[in-house]
Amino acid sequence: MRALAGLTGSAAIAALTGRALMGERATLHGFTIPGRRSAGGGCQLLRARDGWVALALPRADDRAMLPALFGDAALPGGDDRAIAAAVARCEAPALVERGRLLGLAVARYGEAPRAPACEALAPGPGRSPAPARAPLVLDLAPLWAGPLAAHLLWLAGATVVKVENPRRPDPQREASPEFFALLNQGKANVALDIAQDAGRRALLGLIARADIVIEAGRPRGLAQFGIDADRLVAAQPGLVWVTITGHGASGEPAGWIALGDDAAIAGGLGDAMRGAGGGIGFAGDAPADPLTGILAAESAWRHWRSGCGARLGIAMSAVIAQALAEERARDGAALDRALRRWSAARGAPFPQAPARPVSAPLRALGADTAMARPC
Amino acid sequence: MKPGTRLKSAACDTEVMVIRAGTGTIECGGAPMAEAKPAQAAPLDTDFAGGTLMGKRYVDAANSFELLCVKPGKGSLAVDGVKLATKDAKPLPASD
Repeated sequence: MRALAGLTGSAAIAALTGRALMGERATLHGFTIPGRRSAGGGCQLLRARDGWVALALPRADDRAMLPALFGDAALPGGDDRAIAAAVARCEAPALVERGRLLGLAVARYGEAPRAPACEALAPGPGRSPAPARAPLVLDLAPLWAGPLAAHLLWLAGATVVKVENPRRPDPQREASPEFFALLNQGKANVALDIAQDAGRRALLGLIARADIVIEAGRPRGLAQFGIDADRLVAAQPGLVWVTITGHGASGEPAGWIALGDDAAIAGGLGDAMRGAGGGIGFAGDAPADPLTGILAAESAWRHWRSGCGARLGIAMSAVIAQALAEERARDGAALDRALRRWSAARGAPFPQAPARPVSAPLRALGADTAMARPC
Repeated sequence: MKPGTRLKSAACDTEVMVIRAGTGTIECGGAPMAEAKPAQAAPLDTDFAGGTLMGKRYVDAANSFELLCVKPGKGSLAVDGVKLATKDAKPLPASD
């Protein structure tokens, strides 16, 4: 956060802390400090034969995959005790591999990140001189990390356009209207269905005007609709394209999804807590989301300011691993103390993050669709 | 067919994971799929050569079969000669 405040010179950013952003959702919802079920409730830590796994099942559809995950047609997907018993019969690495193939957000203790926290996936042509105006940011990402990154850029003065699929709008709208308003205030809102040719061309038109694009789908998602990020970056001088992934944007991990709590386990936060003398448990509220949002905003702004176009990949599990390594290098004993405190405080109210007001209008879904002109 | 079984196409590179299976023969490219590749590849039937897409789920009209493509190929998936259709993408999770 300090780096982002320094880069942007924004007083609004300087007034924020990473700690406050990380506790913001938990404070809004009155979450308690999690144990083996995540603060938001969607992810559980379960004991496999040879270790612990984090299994997120936030959608009914995820549970429909469980018979295939466990190779058992009779498995009652709605029964958490039956799921725990089935996990106990599995080897953790095989379970995680199969779960990822099935499109589930799953991770295990003892994993090593498969990608750097932030990597240049493709270089783009530069633009000179460096732009003097505020950037135009396209926010194509649902949920938390991507919208937070775009929100931070908005606080720093960017114009932000949030793009949603009218058939599948950002589920955060319904799940938490207050949190959605906090992260998406002040953004223009365009509704486009890129499965339709008109929607796809309208999105390409918006991208042609944008300085920064933030998206968080699996890379094959956009590719299937003919949106080739590497080619767009190569063709548009100065364009900074941020791809947020769970575990990496190339090779096999590009097909894996992650959410904020399982990504933290994959990044080693559970191992660190256990290693510090704490128990098996989650630390924080989906911490990979806000940390990724902060890093994405900082990386995007820095590249945009330099005028160097690029496609950047930011991997949530690796962001956690990098943050842990930095904290360990700064003061390992303090990190261990903090992790032990988290572990001992399960069930207590979350540390309160200062309330931030929603100070700008929240545009309705599709309120600004007219600004998107086909390319 | 047990859920979680991985099947390979005899006619192309396609591989699927069985999410759900009723009674019938699962085929790809016009040839039955199996857990192992046959020693000699089957010819790709031009009527079943629409291709499969990585990560897509394929279902039959009765919704008794659901297959997840874990490796794409040139063949089309079918059960007893009737092509499967792609299923809509999963809804996004409401939150973490």
